[in-house]
Amino acid sequence: MRRIVLYLLISVLLIILHTTLMKYLAIGDIVPDILVVWIVYVAIRDGQLAGTVTGFSIGLAIDLMSGVDGMLGLSTMAKTVCGFAGGYFFNENKTFQTLGSWRYIVAIVVTSLLHNVIYFIIFLQGTPIGWSGAVLRYGIPTTAYSAAFALLPMFVFLRKYSS
Amino acid sequence: MKKLLDIVSAFREYIVFTLCILIAIFLLTVNDGPQIRAIRSITIVSIGFLQGALAFIPNYFDLREEHRILRERNLNLSSEVSLLRESRLENIRLRHLLGFKERARQHYISANVVGKNTQLLRNTITIDVGESDGVKVNMPIVTDGGLVGKIIATSSGYAVGQLVLNKDFRASAKVQRGRVDGIIVWEGGDMLLLKNVARTLDVREGDVIQTSEFSNLFPPGIRVGVVSEISQKQGALFQTIEVTPGVDFNRLEEVFVVRHQPDTSRMAVENRIGR
Repeated sequence: MRRIVLYLLISVLLIILHTTLMKYLAIGDIVPDILVVWIVYVAIRDGQLAGTVTGFSIGLAIDLMSGVDGMLGLSTMAKTVCGFAGGYFFNENKTFQTLGSWRYIVAIVVTSLLHNVIYFIIFLQGTPIGWSGAVLRYGIPTTAYSAAFALLPMFVFLRKYSS
Repeated sequence: MKKLLDIVSAFREYIVFTLCILIAIFLLTVNDGPQIRAIRSITIVSIGFLQGALAFIPNYFDLREEHRILRERNLNLSSEVSLLRESRLENIRLRHLLGFKERARQHYISANVVGKNTQLLRNTITIDVGESDGVKVNMPIVTDGGLVGKIIATSSGYAVGQLVLNKDFRASAKVQRGRVDGIIVWEGGDMLLLKNVARTLDVREGDVIQTSEFSNLFPPGIRVGVVSEISQKQGALFQTIEVTPGVDFNRLEEVFVVRHQPDTSRMAVENRIGR
């Protein structure tokens, strides 16, 4: 129960950070998706179910905050898939080894790419903008930036695990 | 019953995942209801308040460059103002002579950009004025550089604007010099496209693009940008015209909402004949 409350608080804090301060870390129009980093962390730490529920809740909150007409449910879907996919990297006996290794970065890259592909396929429906071009131009740089951002918690866990 | 519970327990991850996806699909299909709009309005207020509170954080790296640009622009504008004063006087004289109806001056609501969402092509801004300031959905947003976008959602104290650089944005526009009409759209990247311009029509690089009288949402004459490249594909009926936006979207801090409402009588007559 305590962990659920803690996760809820961290999620709210990260959503606020994501919507207010992350623009200061933008390189051009590319911003790291710290929410994907967090969802994958939860999935690796507590399994697929926790990852899915966290992804769903965070996605829904982002959809409600985005103010973009006609796309409520888009981030909900993309982030739910992200949490579910992140759960495939869950290993109950090797949680900290996973978080403190390149497996965590690989999980971020895979889930973030999946997230962006789903996002752009639906978001760009009915427009002349091709989703594959958008993934190349925005999705892959966002994935790379998020993965680079995830190096920070990875090294923290690596240090923690080694000690 | 126990067997059923065992099955549910064994596949709970998949069941929860399927449920979440079904809810997401449901939301995607019914997401413009009044309840959803009310929830969105509340979230816009909360997030707008937070973004407003954190807007004091300056971007030091940009300040120096911005200062230089502003000084340069100030110099250019001073000389332009004196020219425009002359032109305005001349214009008034000519209008009187021709008996033209004086166009209504636009009224502007100044606003600060407190939030920007350029992540994953969403391309919207949150501004610190809302319904209580007279802001309504579909009102145009401009800066001294030209057209920024339009209002797509409002709450009492905040509003969300859709940028010109948005996949859903469309505006009737024309070439200022040649009076050629087209439609401004964005298909990714930093440039806009002026579409539906026949290849025989006269458009040149450097031509200024502005909103046209055909638009019901935007008042005519708002600068959109400058033609930067024209290409003609073999066999195509239309030219591909790239337009560099007049607004620097990376440095968007203050904007103006134009108190312009669509002409309902015009819309009614156009709807009557199915346009």
